[in-house]
Amino acid sequence: MKCNQPGAGSKHDRTFSAFNRSASDPGHATGEHERAACGHDRTITEHDPAASKHGHAADEYGQTALFATLCDTLHAIGQTRSAREKSRLFSSYLQSLTTEADIDLAVRFTAEGAFPSREKRRTVVGRQTVALTAADFCGIDYDQVFKPCRNAAGSASEAIEKLMSNLPEAVNRRSPAVLTLHRVALGFSELAHARNREDKQAVLAGLWELMEPREIRYMIRIMDRRPPGIGFDLCSILEAVSMAFGADTGQVRRTRMLTGSAGITAVMARNRTLDTAVFHMFQPVAFMLASASENVGVPDPKAFVAEEKIDGLRTQAHISDGRVSLFSREMNDITPLFPDVTNALGTKDAEMVLDGEICIFENGSVKPLLRLQKRMEVKKPDERLLASQPALFIAFDLLFLNGVPVIDQPLHQRRPLLEQICRQQGIPLLRQYFLKDTADITRIYKRAIRHGSKGLILKQRDSRYEYGQRSPLWFKFKESGGSLDTVIMYAHSGGGQGETWTAGSGQTSTKSAGVSRHDSTYFIFTLGIRVDDDERYDEAFIPIGKATVAFADEEADKISRRIRELLVERFGPTFSLRPGIVVELEFDNIEVNRRTKAGYVLHRPRFRTIHWDRDPHTTHTLKDVERLYQRQNREPAPRKPGENPVQLFSGPSS
Amino acid sequence: MQIRNTGHNGIHLPASHIVLDGAGSDPQAHIFISHAHSDHVPGKRSVPVYASPATAALMRARGHRGPVRELAFGQTLALPSADVTMYPAGHILGSAMFFIETDEGSLLYTGDCRRPPSPASEGFALPDRSVDQLIIEATFGLPLYKWEPHEVLFSQIRTFAAKSLDAEAVPILLCYSLGKAQEVMMALAASDPPVTVQIHPAGVPLTRIYEEFGMSMGHWEPFDPENLAGKVLLIPSSALNNPDIRMIPNRRLAYVSGWASIDAYGSRLMADTLIPLSDHLDFFSLMDLCREIAPGHIWLTHSPNPDVALHYLQKEGFSCGSLEKEQYREV
Repeated sequence: MKCNQPGAGSKHDRTFSAFNRSASDPGHATGEHERAACGHDRTITEHDPAASKHGHAADEYGQTALFATLCDTLHAIGQTRSAREKSRLFSSYLQSLTTEADIDLAVRFTAEGAFPSREKRRTVVGRQTVALTAADFCGIDYDQVFKPCRNAAGSASEAIEKLMSNLPEAVNRRSPAVLTLHRVALGFSELAHARNREDKQAVLAGLWELMEPREIRYMIRIMDRRPPGIGFDLCSILEAVSMAFGADTGQVRRTRMLTGSAGITAVMARNRTLDTAVFHMFQPVAFMLASASENVGVPDPKAFVAEEKIDGLRTQAHISDGRVSLFSREMNDITPLFPDVTNALGTKDAEMVLDGEICIFENGSVKPLLRLQKRMEVKKPDERLLASQPALFIAFDLLFLNGVPVIDQPLHQRRPLLEQICRQQGIPLLRQYFLKDTADITRIYKRAIRHGSKGLILKQRDSRYEYGQRSPLWFKFKESGGSLDTVIMYAHSGGGQGETWTAGSGQTSTKSAGVSRHDSTYFIFTLGIRVDDDERYDEAFIPIGKATVAFADEEADKISRRIRELLVERFGPTFSLRPGIVVELEFDNIEVNRRTKAGYVLHRPRFRTIHWDRDPHTTHTLKDVERLYQRQNREPAPRKPGENPVQLFSGPSS
Repeated sequence: MQIRNTGHNGIHLPASHIVLDGAGSDPQAHIFISHAHSDHVPGKRSVPVYASPATAALMRARGHRGPVRELAFGQTLALPSADVTMYPAGHILGSAMFFIETDEGSLLYTGDCRRPPSPASEGFALPDRSVDQLIIEATFGLPLYKWEPHEVLFSQIRTFAAKSLDAEAVPILLCYSLGKAQEVMMALAASDPPVTVQIHPAGVPLTRIYEEFGMSMGHWEPFDPENLAGKVLLIPSSALNNPDIRMIPNRRLAYVSGWASIDAYGSRLMADTLIPLSDHLDFFSLMDLCREIAPGHIWLTHSPNPDVALHYLQKEGFSCGSLEKEQYREV
């Protein structure tokens, strides 16, 4: 039915003609509480005049919106540059859907992945499992054929799409059926329930047998819980939702924050019930995030307050009548990990939602994150762990209090309420500092760093608690964790996000490396750390991090030239280089990650500079990384009285 | 037969004093040029070479100054140490394969080739005698690559141009100035209503040669930014950063290349549309061609990842290797 590279012309026609409707919509992939939030499920009958002309049989569940249509739409969005046009495409697609369940699923798959982001369920199919299943499905050797193809395409899902459509073995094995969104959602549930790799592979292969290559590609992307790689971010998706149903963008964003689900939000937008969006206790609210800033300072310090960025886990605590739920920034329920925190908060006599940090807290001070990580690795901590790594919730914001949404009040009004409740109930509170001038910010910042905090967050005093995207109302200044001299191992071009570019071109020439946009050129590099004297490794360099960097024209030419000189091999958009370019790489901190070759990953790696004159064989080694890691987790200098960022109160029952 | 891959100096058959697609370092060598792309013609512009008539014209237009002895397709040239016969390769206008018969056996060198052949070429034909050694290009030697028929891709080109013009945008097709540009012009020549194409200055003398050889290139003119409205522009992607091109408001980009079958290549060029029209063999026609020729030994060349095609060829029982990897080999 489809070719692997559809024409630009026919694409849209097909995208919207394969759609149809049904008379009934019995199945609903979402839970009961979601129905409650959406209002009653019903089918629109006077909506899509084209639908009756292009009828499709409903599937066994009576569902009609096809997964293929969603995939074609996503693909068209990926091939469109303009953000407005992307939203317009998605908006027309949404308008073509007739049932709440379909709208919910289509938006969820596009924005959140296989399951609603606030649900604990995960598909959990590793990339390796996907790759092995695909190689097996296509009857090809994993190492000899699949890997080179994936490297050449620069993306596993795209490589799989092409192999599925090109290889006779794969084509013969597939007998594409009419798959609805609903059927694919059921498939994701099956995958979530599959216990081991064999079961997962069987379920995956079973689904692929029913799919067209493009459906397989996007199914893999959705399962991966990443944006489908089409340069369509949550902001634009919500824009499309408001466009489709004529709803106010601000209200759409607020609803998504309250419900924690873009899918539910879209359904409410269609039903014009956005104004009924209410907060439910024990349903996480999208977190307000700070935008990162490199310079310590804001134009008008008096309009801001400062809080120390303490070494902890950002947590939302829901407390009501002895019941406590804790949610992480990804809106995962992390309650079972912290029975000590839960017990302490369970005694509080108020219904509230608090925003704050969970830290390891001992002898009156916050301890390094490393110790908290020990807690995060254990799903059911025993008494010994609880005693050796005592966790504490430290509040810094109040979202709801006794059924009243405080969330819409400015920070300077929320804060006194928070202080009052913390004092009354004995809840630890993060201290807030008023600012007179930039010198104040610098002084508080330095003090914070000296005592082991990671930086400073500046919050605009009259800011409301704003929905999930990084907000310019909160700024964070983080201390650099340090820097390392590394070498460039690979140069890459981007995978469909349209933002990041590198060296070389196709068959024509390698004259201009990188592509200019807004007068600068973007590159992505994989950077290597030296292990040539390390008996644990055979290689001279192994990857330690990836960084994107924009160069002005002159430097871009220089680096492109150097890349061509060092080029060893090309795997599609990836260029493998001989060690030759030394890059000083800055990072926030070092984390242990056993799944990587080095065993460590750099958090937020970024370019500081290129050292053109430096010899790659004098760069830092993995042992230097290990030393830095030990040093970063040292105990900080003790605080003077009154300088502790955490205020403790002796509440009635604490 | 000894085969020596000398990189930029071409492929050298020392016993026969033959060099393919390079200047060679053998002063007695006869040099054969498969086609006029710059990675196949000698860097030394004064050397005497053999080539097809169209390749000769294109090479001269691109600055070759040495004598070119023109061979006709199917004609056999008897050299003291070998007989050389030229066959059309289907890659671009003038592109040729060389069939070399010596006392030590026969060899077919494909240069760059395409089957089914490019409509803007003299077609594709194979020798009817047995081939002992085959040197075949494997630029797209991964099962990721399988081309759509020319008519499908040509219609994508026309649709892209028409839709952009309807939206009052300037359609820009990114394509190499020799070969790809003329294929695109041929596709656009069939537009209804007719369109005028502007081409990059580098392509002007080359396009005239295509016309001299009887190819219909439609309505076209050299790039003129003042008179671009309502017309279609063809430029190589290396020209994207030229100030004149950057200044074009409301433009739409299509990337026309075999590499356009991979999304990442298109997004690197900020292309709105990807049209995977290639003038090379795809993986599947590469395999078919090897099966059909059934040579004693297969050498892959021009492949960024020869191991995959070698894996498939070995599975089918072929004796094979990569000319780049082994550099120098006696078989």
